[in-house]
Amino acid sequence: MTTTMPRPAGAVRARPAPSLRQRAEPFRLHRAGVVYAFALILMTFTMAAELTGRPFYLSPVNTANILDQTVQVGILAVIMTICLISGNFDLSVGATAALGAGVTLTVLNTGSGVAVAVLAGLGTGAAMGLLNGVLVQLVGVNAFIVTLGTMTGVRGLLFILTDGQSIQTDHDGLGDAFTGVLPLNAKVWIAIAGAVFLALGVRSLMRERKGLVTSGYGPWMVGAGVVVVAVALLFLPTRWELTKQVYIFVAVAVVAWLVLRFTAVGRRLYAVGGNTEAARLSGIDVARYKITPFVLNGLFAALVGILYVSRFSAINPQAMTGLELTVLAAAILGGTSLFGGAGNVLKSVVGALILFTLINGFGVLNLGANYQDLIKGVVIIGAATIYVLAERRGQRSRPAVAAPDDDDGGGGGPAPDRPAGADSPTAPDRRQATP
Amino acid sequence: MLLEARGVSKRFPNGTEALRQVSLAVEEGSIHGLVGANGAGKSTLFKIIAGAIPPTAGRIRWRGADVTWSAPGDSRAAGVSTIHQHIPLVPTLTVLENVYIGELSGVFRTAPLLQRYEELCERLGYRADPDRIVGELPLGERQMVAVAQALAGGATLVCMDEPTASMAHAEVDVLFAAVRRLRADGVSFVFCSHFLDQVLELTDAVTVLRDGRVVTSAPTASLDEAALVDAMVGRRLHEIEEHRADPLPSGAPVLLEARDLASPGRLAGVDLTVRAGEIVGVAGMLGSGRSELLEALFGADPRCSGTVAVRGEPVRNRVRSRVRAGIALVPEDRARQGLVPAWEIWRNVSLPGLGALSRRGVPDHAAELDRAERAIADLGIRTPSAETPVGALSGGNAQKVVFGKWLFGDGDVFLLDEPTVGVDVGAKADILQLVRGFAAAGKAVVIVSSGFEELLAVAHRIVVMRAGRVVAERLTGETDEPELLALASGLTTVTGASRR
Repeated sequence: MTTTMPRPAGAVRARPAPSLRQRAEPFRLHRAGVVYAFALILMTFTMAAELTGRPFYLSPVNTANILDQTVQVGILAVIMTICLISGNFDLSVGATAALGAGVTLTVLNTGSGVAVAVLAGLGTGAAMGLLNGVLVQLVGVNAFIVTLGTMTGVRGLLFILTDGQSIQTDHDGLGDAFTGVLPLNAKVWIAIAGAVFLALGVRSLMRERKGLVTSGYGPWMVGAGVVVVAVALLFLPTRWELTKQVYIFVAVAVVAWLVLRFTAVGRRLYAVGGNTEAARLSGIDVARYKITPFVLNGLFAALVGILYVSRFSAINPQAMTGLELTVLAAAILGGTSLFGGAGNVLKSVVGALILFTLINGFGVLNLGANYQDLIKGVVIIGAATIYVLAERRGQRSRPAVAAPDDDDGGGGGPAPDRPAGADSPTAPDRRQATP
Repeated sequence: MLLEARGVSKRFPNGTEALRQVSLAVEEGSIHGLVGANGAGKSTLFKIIAGAIPPTAGRIRWRGADVTWSAPGDSRAAGVSTIHQHIPLVPTLTVLENVYIGELSGVFRTAPLLQRYEELCERLGYRADPDRIVGELPLGERQMVAVAQALAGGATLVCMDEPTASMAHAEVDVLFAAVRRLRADGVSFVFCSHFLDQVLELTDAVTVLRDGRVVTSAPTASLDEAALVDAMVGRRLHEIEEHRADPLPSGAPVLLEARDLASPGRLAGVDLTVRAGEIVGVAGMLGSGRSELLEALFGADPRCSGTVAVRGEPVRNRVRSRVRAGIALVPEDRARQGLVPAWEIWRNVSLPGLGALSRRGVPDHAAELDRAERAIADLGIRTPSAETPVGALSGGNAQKVVFGKWLFGDGDVFLLDEPTVGVDVGAKADILQLVRGFAAAGKAVVIVSSGFEELLAVAHRIVVMRAGRVVAERLTGETDEPELLALASGLTTVTGASRR
């Protein structure tokens, strides 16, 4: 056996095309369940609206409305997903959002400009996030406890800052900057987005043919691109009145998804969450990848706080209490693991959309607001249950790794004796166990 | 006959045939050895005996009657207890609570249990402090607690899976003494181990599995190590293990130089120099400071003082700095420290070199796949494709993936901590060959192993550690296993059988 035989550069290796089963993997219930659930909910409300003779549920006005309502929780769900992937947990985002908003208004009321006020608010949020991160990662206190503490303490800071009163502002700079409508020509832009998708799918297929990738997503991307272009051109309005905040939300989600999905930074983040020790021994700066998500959480919580006050020009110290739980619910609906190493920001966004579609639907259809929270709770537990059950079933039906028979006694062989992954959770640290 | 498996076959729903017509007979009051390469079907057989999974064909007979155990509780009630490699004790409870965990109901009254515990210890010939928290116990003692737990549950057949992996010599002796004592008491054991010398030392009869079939089943007295190895894999291993490293060409540059590494309670002033192309073995008992030395070299011990230089350049005492300087650690516990189990092989392999494989921060997927496929080909990893999650690989293959992580990077210095632990003989030969390949490519290698004959086979030079310091240094040509064992255990004369 040779160890490091360099292969001629540029040699392209033939790889077998993915099987249909592999290609279908992203569509399995435990991977895409949240999307199916969202589609089901939309269909239900649409049909219910039709049957009761109300306006079309998926009208441009109502969809823009749902998106606008989702903005705050949606942005935080994206960032919270990053934090959960890194293997941490943050309960303090609601309080930090309120504090960031309070600081921004206070600075604004001293006569400083909007930019200064916003930067002060964002800086406060980032500082709170850094505090969380340092306490969790460098001092080593459990993240749940730290952020439970800062959640309470930060809210207390806000009470001190405001003396328990609401803060208001007459300055309309914030409102000018962060509220209002930017109409989108949905027909054109979404068709363009679909065309880009289609092009990427074609490229993926070509690379697959050359044996460069084996992801197997190419055909789906082509198909989805065609459908999106067709639907956009046929059905979507030329004027979709989206608020500015929706654009911020979409930008945050798309950038976060691109970074996590395609960059080395994203890969390392998943590694740190998936197995911290292996990541550390691979030369990854674990502390950086654990602390940064907290800072981002603080920063974007403050941003959400600013978006909130830009609508109302006022904040009371109790505002956004419990926000963090809705955010976590969205991330969990999106299938994010609470143990780190797994999650997808776009699915968390869909999770947030589900929560606000439920609220919106109950309102529009006048189904009785009292049932809302019960339904939300059922949806969350139901989603988590389906994930667990579908994943368990998926594992049972997935073919185990059957290596080709070998007569020289190497590893492998049928029915691996000791799957590497099965060892770890209970494995005692041998070195420390024996002083 | 206490337990009999007759023509047991197991075919998994995906078509894998893990066991084919396996027969096994365990007599009352006997110790039955079960050996086989990884993937030979030992674990499947264990699970069937324990009632955790049903056989596809064949019968299990217990005390002469056919039985169908459909849940682990059934076999346990009948008197079969299975101790898995990673002992399922509750680390936060005391020894006493763990031993009688099956009886925890209602009020936990300590006094009567203590009485029974003392009787149990009498039978076992060993007493662990009943009030100690299990998590604080050394591994060997935990194994004894697990045996005690099995006995407390009324077991007459105890199946042990690799009980002595990473146990120190003295701990093995204690365990074996207890097992022999219990055999005299009428308890039977199935002892599954990679340590063939221990199997030969302890058991009354041995069954060898290969590819799900019984290839040998005979009284231990009629077997020796060579016969077992032949039955498991054929002759290849012998030649490799008897190989001795070629002498190092003089004048090779020093790659790694450590001066006066000291860390309170772990290391007491260790110097180590490794040249390009050299393999240095570190011999020592568990707790001798051998793993601690590797951690110190790797920058994973923040309290460590002293200097480490790579190619003459001092490197800061941080993992990141050391990795950048070209030091790579292949850790002992690969599942916990080496791999992200849910990830595919290619994602794991590319992780340390992700920066080099990325263009403007975006990993080049094709290059990653290429690297993984080279690792699979060069290391002989047995897998359908690079897309297989490492969690689904067997121990030896997973270990090779950990090697693959460092194979194609800029690493110059390889620190290998027990690279062959829990790996079957065939994969072990591959891995040793791989280590020689590293050295032949001009890298420096420091290898820690409990298997001294393995060090003798692969290293140019061996340093012996005891109590955190280097007590001796030998060229491999000038020493042998008994001498190393004596040096490592602080003996002046050589006693006891050699162990791996």
